[in-house]
Amino acid sequence: MSIIKTCNVKYSYDKNRSILKNLSAEFETGKIYAILGPSGCGKTTLLSLLGGLDSPTEGQVLFQEEDIRQRGLAWHRKHNVAFIFQSYNLIDYMTPAENVALTSKLPPLPILERLGLTKEESKRNVLKLSGGQQQRVAIARALASDASVILADEPTGNLDEDTALEITNILKECAHQMNKCVIIATHSNDLARQADVLMKLRKGELQILAAPAPEN
Amino acid sequence: MAFIKRACLYCLRQRFKTIILFLVLTVIGTFVLTGIALRDAAKDATADVRTAIGGKITLDIDKEGHMGASQQYEWGSASTYNGDYISQEIVEAIKKVEGVVDYNSEMTAGYYGAGVNFDYLPATYELSYTPYGESSCYTVALSSEKCKAFQSGKYTLVEGRHFTPDDKYTCLISKELADYNNLSVGDDIEMYSLDSDSISTFEIIGIFDGTEGSSGNAYTVSDIPANWGYIDYGALQDIFKNMYPVNDYSQLAIFVEDPVSIQNVYDKISALPELKGKTLKLTIDTDEYDIISTPLESLQGLVNTAIAIVLAVSVTILTLLLTVWIRGRKKEIGILLSIGKNKANIVLQFFTEALMVAVLSFAAAIPFSNLIAEKAGAFLVSRITAETARLHVQINAAYLPALYLTGIFLIAAAVSASAWTVVRSRPNDILAKMS
Repeated sequence: MSIIKTCNVKYSYDKNRSILKNLSAEFETGKIYAILGPSGCGKTTLLSLLGGLDSPTEGQVLFQEEDIRQRGLAWHRKHNVAFIFQSYNLIDYMTPAENVALTSKLPPLPILERLGLTKEESKRNVLKLSGGQQQRVAIARALASDASVILADEPTGNLDEDTALEITNILKECAHQMNKCVIIATHSNDLARQADVLMKLRKGELQILAAPAPEN
Repeated sequence: MAFIKRACLYCLRQRFKTIILFLVLTVIGTFVLTGIALRDAAKDATADVRTAIGGKITLDIDKEGHMGASQQYEWGSASTYNGDYISQEIVEAIKKVEGVVDYNSEMTAGYYGAGVNFDYLPATYELSYTPYGESSCYTVALSSEKCKAFQSGKYTLVEGRHFTPDDKYTCLISKELADYNNLSVGDDIEMYSLDSDSISTFEIIGIFDGTEGSSGNAYTVSDIPANWGYIDYGALQDIFKNMYPVNDYSQLAIFVEDPVSIQNVYDKISALPELKGKTLKLTIDTDEYDIISTPLESLQGLVNTAIAIVLAVSVTILTLLLTVWIRGRKKEIGILLSIGKNKANIVLQFFTEALMVAVLSFAAAIPFSNLIAEKAGAFLVSRITAETARLHVQINAAYLPALYLTGIFLIAAAVSASAWTVVRSRPNDILAKMS
């Protein structure tokens, strides 16, 4: 059963320019979804709609069969979804531990340690960490929130190959071991290959390119 | 993480901005606190003046239409007032009117006396039209303290006391005259009156100054202010009891507790049956109070305007400063929105940051205000008000709630205005601009 889905979602910036056209898609927990598509095709917009950062022009986004507007978009962002951005988006005057603590009352250090940051690194200013470490902090913040859906917009876009692979593995872990629904918008074929479901957004429509074989 | 914790972290980690905000708020707090203290000091000074001077109603004989026919004398012609005088009965009735605190009758040059056992400060011409030389003039009064020269501060009693209606054969002389004759309080002086052709003895009960520098080239001794003095009405009535109707007064100053209620007292006195049909006129006199209080009231208005301007300028400066800073925090706002913090929560964080700094700033403003308030008060008084007015500007604990309330309002206004563009934006727009 899907955890989040879009029903006939349309989105346009103006009357003449439609980004998403009657888009219906379902996303399940325990899977990693990769959405491919050229720049400007609406990948980020789709993530924004799923994450409640914006509302569709028409149609609905349902979380566990409930319209996300029902409880409010801020509530949806706080409890149901977590974002990971290409540019990490960490608050620069906080340490990694404090950034993680933004979304959870749980102690942040165990999560950060699990993602490979030492105690010392967790108490440094975030800007003094490498790109890969900053992205791990962003993932830790997403995981700490206890949200079922992780929306990642080009999460490996700013990372070198090795680090990108590490981050990809962490995201896979999130989906497969922590039973999260991970939806990634990406240009990276390497990352896309790791996905359970591969989707392509083209001319406002979403096509499933590859899906795992149904379980017997 | 709660907004309060985020605000604390921001203030601690962004030290440069925190220090700038601290300085700006300290300056604002100092201005506001100084303004409030000055305004209150001016208000207190006005109240003090009101109590010290009070209001005054004057009862005079009405000469208009009540002068007798002109009579021819050797030295020329003159006419005499033939109307009513202010009798003791009228004075007693006025004393009982509610709101009347004191009264006085003052007759300038009511007595001329030549020094029998003392000398006046000499003039250019030595005239000797009495056996004891030239006479000088004395103001005759019921209460010397209530005489105009003492009320206005022109003369000040430096030794002894003032005489009251109960005193008889007492006098006040100038310090210059006392020094000239080695006289002091408690000494007796003898004076010869040409009008009554008698010598009277007066006890010096007070010495005043204020005549210094006014004893230049005078033709006669009575032209020299240092030779002037004050004697009590009781003595005058006694000296002239067989010559003139001196038991009555031609003028009576009635002192009222509060100048604000002077009209009420005036109406009550006007309605006294003792005054009905008498050729006397009653007038309200608040000139002395007005001379001092009007500039003080203007000062209050000026300070109020200054406070309003300071507040408006402060809100503007603070808004501009916070707007620049909040615009620079779009990324942070986007992040907080993406993790589900609502806009109110974010604005509250900004408000708390400024408020925390303000708490310290306003506390720091107290000593600074103390330093400049007294000087600012003295400067304003010297520029605006009469010399007799003094401001006692003090910053006290009672001002702090007003300062903090003003500060909260100021910061709330500045933060709301600064965060307005952010609050209006959609989260997606902020994040789009961010990326």
